[in-house]
Amino acid sequence: MKNLPRYKNLTIIFYTTILFLYSASFIISPVLCYSQEDARIAIQSAEGTVLNCYWAVFEAEKAGANVSSMLQVLNEAGWLLSRAGVAYNNGDFNLAYEYATNCTQMLDGRVDEANSLKLEAENARRMDFLVNYVGSSVGAVAIVVGGYAFWVFLKRREKTVEA
Amino acid sequence: MRITDYGLLYWTVVGVLALLVASPFFSRVLVYPRTEFFTELWILDENHKAENYPYNITRGQNYTIYLGIGNRLGYCAYYMVQVKFRNQSQPAPTSFGPIENRLPSSLPSLFNMAAFVADEQVLEIPITFSFNYTWDEQLSKVELSSLRLNGVWLNMSNCTLSWDADKKAFRGILFFELYLYNADTNSFKYHGRFVGLWLNMTVSI
Repeated sequence: MKNLPRYKNLTIIFYTTILFLYSASFIISPVLCYSQEDARIAIQSAEGTVLNCYWAVFEAEKAGANVSSMLQVLNEAGWLLSRAGVAYNNGDFNLAYEYATNCTQMLDGRVDEANSLKLEAENARRMDFLVNYVGSSVGAVAIVVGGYAFWVFLKRREKTVEA
Repeated sequence: MRITDYGLLYWTVVGVLALLVASPFFSRVLVYPRTEFFTELWILDENHKAENYPYNITRGQNYTIYLGIGNRLGYCAYYMVQVKFRNQSQPAPTSFGPIENRLPSSLPSLFNMAAFVADEQVLEIPITFSFNYTWDEQLSKVELSSLRLNGVWLNMSNCTLSWDADKKAFRGILFFELYLYNADTNSFKYHGRFVGLWLNMTVSI
């Protein structure tokens, strides 16, 4: 009966230690254990993401979209990728992994954004074609034809009046 | 007065009106096509001028310049700028001949910077750098240890600068080579352009 409080303390310490170790596994493990292979794969993945995003922006710009904000993001992501490359060459694989992952995350959803910009630009271009090419040329032809018809009408009316 | 007496005036008005309405069409059709496609590359000093470039370098002190890239290629371009440093005896990029045939320096890149520039746009990259080096008084040479570029430490060991008796300086050139992403080869190809700054690593006697 005398040992009961001591036993109770030991139990508390035991459970606290278990809880601490369990929590630490979540906090510490993702930070400290990236290998060279992990970093290399992360950098390759980031390079692929940058390239995919670039092609999406390329197509959007070709369609006539304003891609300046997208390019700003791409340049920032490119900077992170450059830093990942330096960290990798210096053997700091954790940092390289971190930069590469940040780069990939920064471009998350940007391809869809570029694609929607492309669609908007294509619609705007269609509208521009309708108004400025078709509308303008048809309008000009209509003025000439209408002018001719009005001219003929005026001449006929004059003849009728004279008669 | 007969209506035919006003014929010239009438058709002039109709013609001018038709041209006005057709002007958006003509403004798009009658455009002189672009025939020259190229990239501009330049360096400006910290005041955005081509005047006070850093030359005399003090160990550990920061210097700022601006690297500019102007895209006139007709499409959104993906560039890579390779940052290199060389002394007077190390290989330089070629500067003569057709730009397509020019070759980059065979020295390894210290840092690769990606740059995305839209057509007809300019990108200016602020670059802040500092050097760490030691002076070997006996051998009369400067041994570079690192370059800090925009907060990134870059290893520069194995780079030494000998005394240039003509210029009375320990001279080296920090230069930036431009590469362009080539979709056909799925890689970066040297774009035939580079810019650089001659720097004198000052030493205190």
